Amino acid sequence: MQFQSFDQSYLDRLRAGDFRAQEHFGAYFGALIQIKLRSRLKSPEAIEDVRQETLARFFVALRDGRILQPERLGSFVISICNHVLLEHYRVGSRLDSLDDDQQRDFPAKGTDLLSLLAAKETEKKVREILDQLSERDRRVLREVFFEERDKDEVCRNFGVDRDYLRVLLHRAKQSFKSLYLKDKDQDRDKNKNLGNDAPELTST
Amino acid sequence: MDHELVARQRMTERYLLGELDADARQEFEEHFFDCPDCAVDVRAGALFVEQSKVLLADESQLAGVSRPVPTLVRAKPAPANAPWVAALLGMFKPAFAVPVMAALLAVVGYQNLVTYPQLKLALNSPRVLPFAFVNVGSWGGGQVVSIRPGEGFLLFARISADGYPRHVAELYNPAGKLEWSLPIPSSERDTSPGQDQYPLQVPGARREAGIYTLVVRGLTAAGESKEVGRGSFELQLRNDTNDK
Repeated sequence: MQFQSFDQSYLDRLRAGDFRAQEHFGAYFGALIQIKLRSRLKSPEAIEDVRQETLARFFVALRDGRILQPERLGSFVISICNHVLLEHYRVGSRLDSLDDDQQRDFPAKGTDLLSLLAAKETEKKVREILDQLSERDRRVLREVFFEERDKDEVCRNFGVDRDYLRVLLHRAKQSFKSLYLKDKDQDRDKNKNLGNDAPELTST
Repeated sequence: MDHELVARQRMTERYLLGELDADARQEFEEHFFDCPDCAVDVRAGALFVEQSKVLLADESQLAGVSRPVPTLVRAKPAPANAPWVAALLGMFKPAFAVPVMAALLAVVGYQNLVTYPQLKLALNSPRVLPFAFVNVGSWGGGQVVSIRPGEGFLLFARISADGYPRHVAELYNPAGKLEWSLPIPSSERDTSPGQDQYPLQVPGARREAGIYTLVVRGLTAAGESKEVGRGSFELQLRNDTNDK
């Protein structure tokens, strides 16, 4: 599978304020930034602050023409995120509210009917995958992810090793990913039929 | 970081399981921000983990399993030939064991005949609980709950309808520390036009008096949570232990 490339045309559309391109950028990198920050910041507010600040600085850099390698967009975004995170650590607590927040407009993440439907679909798929697991594997996942027990202890209790845990997660993730991408492919086909050509996740 | 190596070493799984050290974690993040294949892999994995947490939490609630509170590290079982084991076995000799058993029986009998019936009666008897309305997301507060030390109470959390399929309520104590977090299935909502209301039963615990904050977060199936509002109330402790 591959991502339709980040290229100059994508950057141009972002710079021109193309809504779909901005929405795509915010969703794609917003999710990656959030995943990155989860292991470093506890408070959801702090995560949201750093995420928003990162995206805001990206758009300022884009406007100022400081992005010279469109194909290395990810590296550029993560370097901004690292800087913002360091500043956040230095401040020691929440970042001060941004005075010019209102001037920095990038697509807000609203909850509309479509995303609610997507949420329900995701829940259904994950439930299907969990239902296919053995009782033992479900309990392993529950103790590791929900109860957040010590992983070594969980493995000892269930007589498995850490690699078993990785394989268990790998298989569940792969099953989920194939269902997830299948939906994305269908969405992409629909978009094509509707004449929308914004980059989407695709499978090859 | 080489993509083949990432796949071979199951870096995505190690990352999601929190097994990477700081340097490896940073290196992998720099890789997947630029590698679409790994980005999809990480996103799908994170989405699966987050959604699993929600579903497994729902199951655990149904099964009465709760997230464990931190406890002391369990002592490792001692080897069978430890010297004190012999001394321990000596305690099972009749001269020692019989009086101990008799004392235990007395305790069990007291619990069964006196303590448990009283607790059962208290649990089964209807009673009026202290309560407060918390208008999540609006300024101010002013609601006061007055309880006896250790007593539970009810919170009626009101929020504007926001479209999230599920929510999580979190209670922060006056020191700003998270006391508990409670997933709220959509079926538990009392939905009025434009507004949802959640009745939350706060279990009895040793609490300090002061301003408590209830934070409500909306959860998407993508595992993203966003605060939809917060509200506060004042908890007052009273010592009229005799009133019923």
